This record gives sequence, C-alpha cells and structure tokens, in this order.
Amino acid sequence: MKELDQLIKDCVAGKQQAQAQLYHIFSSKMYGVCLRYAKDSTEAEDNLQEGFIKVFTNLKKFRHDGSFEGWIRRIMINVSLEKLRKQNKLYPVEDVAIYDSINFSDDVIAKISADDLMKLVQELPPRYRLVFNLYVIEGLSHQEIAKEMTITQGTSKSNLARARDILKKKVHETFGEVTAKNNYTA
Amino acid sequence: MKKDKNIDELFRDKLLNYGQEPPAFILGNVLSGAAGDRRKRKIIFWRLVSTAAAILLAFVAGWQLNYMNSKTIVLPVIVSQNSTPETKSAITAKVLAESKTAKNDLLKRQVIPEATGKPISNKTLMTASQSTIQEKKTSPETTGNVPTDEITALNPIQRLTHQFNQNDRFAEVLHKMKAGNTNSEQNEKSIDQQIMEQNQLMMLAQNEKVKKGRWLVGAQVTPEYSVSRSNHSQVYASNMINSSSANPVDLGGGLSVEFKKGKRWSLQSGVYYSGVGQSSGNSSHSNGNDLAYAGIAANNLNTNVRIDANTNKMVMNSTAGVIELKKIPSSITVGTNMEDKSLASTVIISDARFIQNFDYIEIPLYLRYTILDSRVDVEMLGGFSSNLLVGNETYVESSSGKSLVGKTNDMQTMNYSGTLGIGLKYGLSKRIFLNVEPRVKYYLNSLNNNSSVTYKPYIIGVFTGLSYQF
Repeated sequence: MKELDQLIKDCVAGKQQAQAQLYHIFSSKMYGVCLRYAKDSTEAEDNLQEGFIKVFTNLKKFRHDGSFEGWIRRIMINVSLEKLRKQNKLYPVEDVAIYDSINFSDDVIAKISADDLMKLVQELPPRYRLVFNLYVIEGLSHQEIAKEMTITQGTSKSNLARARDILKKKVHETFGEVTAKNNYTA
Repeated sequence: MKKDKNIDELFRDKLLNYGQEPPAFILGNVLSGAAGDRRKRKIIFWRLVSTAAAILLAFVAGWQLNYMNSKTIVLPVIVSQNSTPETKSAITAKVLAESKTAKNDLLKRQVIPEATGKPISNKTLMTASQSTIQEKKTSPETTGNVPTDEITALNPIQRLTHQFNQNDRFAEVLHKMKAGNTNSEQNEKSIDQQIMEQNQLMMLAQNEKVKKGRWLVGAQVTPEYSVSRSNHSQVYASNMINSSSANPVDLGGGLSVEFKKGKRWSLQSGVYYSGVGQSSGNSSHSNGNDLAYAGIAANNLNTNVRIDANTNKMVMNSTAGVIELKKIPSSITVGTNMEDKSLASTVIISDARFIQNFDYIEIPLYLRYTILDSRVDVEMLGGFSSNLLVGNETYVESSSGKSLVGKTNDMQTMNYSGTLGIGLKYGLSKRIFLNVEPRVKYYLNSLNNNSSVTYKPYIIGVFTGLSYQF
C-alpha cells in the first residue's frame, strides 16, 4: 500500500517512469472495463487512453480514503459514458418487454469464454449496454441508476430486462442448451 | 438445477475481473498526452495570470498617472505672529443657547486669520500625519474553487438524461412507441430514427442557446466603507480636526447592464449610487484654567474654528476639505478668547463628531473576464467610472444626537474613479444569477478642489444582487 502511495506521489510529480509503472498495474483490468462499455476494441482503446490521461492529470485529487482501483474504474466508466453521449447514442428508453429467464447448465457455461460474453455485451444497443453494465457488473441498484440518469426506476428496470432478453437469446442461439425458465425479480 | 446459473451471474462471474492486455502504443500516447495536458494547464494558468496582471497594471497605471499629475502642495512658511494679548476676562459662553444676534456679534469680533503663527503642537502634527498616511489594506476573498472528484465525473449522464427528460417531444414519441411496442427490431429502427431526429433538434436548440443570452441586466446593493486618504498643507493641517478611524458605513447600489462579448469577456455599465463617508473627531484637548473657570470639565475636547473673511461664516478644516457651518446645535458649546494660548482663539468645546457625507451618481464602464466557468463562475473586473456629486452634507453628532450643520466647501462636481474586483456568479436558474462582488474603488482625482487639500479616499464594498440574462 505504501508502495502504491509513493507511486501515486511520483505520478503527481510528473515522473513518467512512475506513470508507466502505474499504467502497467491497472491497464489490463481497465481495458476490460472499457471493452464492456464500448462497441469495439478501437473505441475501448480510445477510452482507455483518454481515461488514463485523466487519471494522471487528476491524480492529485485522489483523496486516499477509498480504493484506488475503484477510483480509476470510475474514471474509465465515465469516459466511456461521455463518449457514448458524444456519439448521441445514449438515451433512456421506456419500453416494456416481457421476458423469461433462462438458466444455463455448467456444460454450456464451460463452453462460453469471457471473450465471447464480452462480444455479446458489446453488441447490445448502447442504452441497454449501459444499464446492464451498471446493474449487473458494477452492482448499482435501480435506485442508484435512476438517480444518476434522472430516469425512473421503472425505466431502468425495463432497459435491464430488454438487455437480458437480448443476451439470453444470443447466448441461446450461439451456445444452445437451455435448462429452465424463471422470471427475474429485478 | 443446482448446477444452473442465471444469466446475470454468468456475465458477472466472467466479466467482473476480466482483463486484457491493451496494445502497446497506448502507453506512449497516454504519457505524451498527460505531459501535454500539464503543459496545457500551465498555458491556461499563465494566460489567467497575464490577464490579471494586465488589469492590475491598467489599474496601477491609472493611479500612478493621476498621482504624478496631481498638484504639488506648496507649504507656506509661517512668519506672522499674533501680537495682541488677550485679557484673562475672556469670554466663554454658550453662544447658540443665547440669541442668534448675540452669537453673530461675538463671532464677528473674534475673526482670526488662518495662519495665526501659533506654534503647532506635536500632538496636532502627529494626528495630522497619521490621518494622511492612514490606509487599510484588504484582500477580497476568493471562493468558487469548485471541487471536482471522481463522483462528478458521472455528471455527463445526468446532464444528458436531464435534457431528455425535459424534452416533451421526445417523451411523446416514446409514449407512442410504447403503445405499439411488440416487435423489438422494428422498434429498434424506429427508436434510432427518433434519436437522430432528437439529436438534430437538440443541436438546433443548443445553437439557439449559444446565440441568445448576450445581455444581462441586474440590480445590486452594497455596504460601502470609506478609507480616508488625503494630503494637506502644513498651515491647513495646523487647524484641522482629526479624521476618525470609525468612518460611517454607507449604502450603495444601482442597476447594471452587461454585454457579453465572446465566452469570457464582457463589458458592463449602468447607474449606481455611491456614498462616501468621512468622520472627524476633536483635534486636541486642554487642561487650561479657562475651561475650569467656565465650569467645563478640563478634559473636554475642543475643535478649532474660524470665521471665513469672504463669506463671514464659521468654518473649520477637515481632512476632506473646509466645513462651512450654517448653524450649530444648542448642545454644542463655542468658546473664544481663551487664555490658554495653545488653543485657537475660537474653539468648539464639546465632545462631538463631525460626519461629512458625499453622495455620487456613478456611471461605470467595466471590463469583465470569466476566470472560472463553472457552477459558480469566478470573474475578474476592472474599469473606470464617472462620478457626479449629488449630495454634500455635514452632520455633527454629540450626546444629544445627530443634526445637519452645513456642508463641505469646494467639492468637485465631477470626478473619476478606478475599480477592481472579483465577481462570483451563481446560476439560480438558466437566466437568473446571484452575484457577489467584493470591489475596491479609488478616486483618480481629489474630491476637493481646494489647493490646500487633496482628498482621494478608497471605497471598499461587497456588491450583492441578482442579474437576468436574455
């Protein structure tokens, strides 16, 4: 922890060696985050680059009272969302979809790699991708998402449901076997 | 079923800690980008510093130029001496408690020249010099350092979604879509088309917004505190009442009009009322027996007064100019022909305070520069004003109250001032702003055209008000 603190201090001082070191520690994971929010790897690379520049320029504002990785992750998410906004693709949509849940067996799950799932997430429409990522991966509640996006909780729920519906179909189409149907309680 | 996992868990488990090595070239871009950003910040910093320095330089240059052009006060040498000794039976009387005619007769008999040749006491000189160098330094507080942390980085979403929630037309489209929403693919296309249309509408609205909002009108009020700053000839100072450190706080304010030229620069004018207050106490005190004989406590204060030969009116010297007394309240005691030669021939023997008020209508021309364009805008302003004298009153304040007694002679009708300030602007709504502006104003020329006096006070105020943008 002390090493990380010292590394942060060196980065704030503008030492490029320290910046490179910090980049190497977190770049893989943050690239993963960017990939989830982007439509393809090119966009994710742009976001990663922009995100790390923001990290280094705003590093002195980091207050050392929380997770540093969480702080960087938040910056990456925000950069990704900002990019979606600029592309005019990020809009809350109040559509209601009736959906069923599908449970997958371990055999099916074993066949699916993280890269495959990443590709499916990237193929989601931006608005669904956003809500799905924030809810399922980042762990935000519908109340938090609704507050952040100034939408209703119902809108957040319906967007999530739509995302799940699309993913479920694609997983099923790509990898086959379905074992059961249940309704979600999100 | 035990082995089954739902779709959320499937994605969460595999993607939460998902990592992938990014292409190597990104690191180089990041490092050069971060270094470039530091340089950019430095450039912005130096731009701000140079703007501030330019405004400050203009302020100081105006002041210095005016200072160098100001008249040099010639100090006359006192050579004459009062040769007529007065008897011990000198008069002490409550002049105005008596009849008016009795007062005038008494004063006419005791006319004294301005330069009496009396030795100037050390105390008088000290108090005079103290008053001339009295200055107060204040630094307006700067706020508006808006903290930005990681949480604020999510604001773009809020802004965007907020814009959309406000857009009724879009909501209407969505409702229509909801009503017929059964085929997701068709709706996808429909949504995208609507989004594109919506974007165009938003861009048009944004452009309209940029075009609008170039004018601001506002109203401000401020408490104004005057800091005396004056020079006088030695002869004038020898008969001068002290300036007090407790100058009255006046109320100022007015209406402003601002024209925005570009994103950061704007020009401001308007009409303001401004008050300058000057308070003076008694100049010396005497332990002379004559005061005791007159039944007045020996430590009572007294003020030198004289009769102006031209106007035949009672006058007294103050740091702001010569006060002409038109009347004296009955509670104020005047003594003359005192045995104590350290006193002037005529003195006011009362614990009193003289307050000179000057009221001005001000037409300013200020240049404003937005240093920080954020939730609370921080602006720097500087410029000049033309000031028209519309009020000139002198009051005396004693234990019995405050009353109007006259005015200050030789006041300039028109004079000019420079202003420097920091403005904080908080948006209460899209068009209405709350303004708080600490400002310091100095007068470029003397408020008084008496050759023996140079009176150029500072005014410190905190302008507070509302402005409306259209």
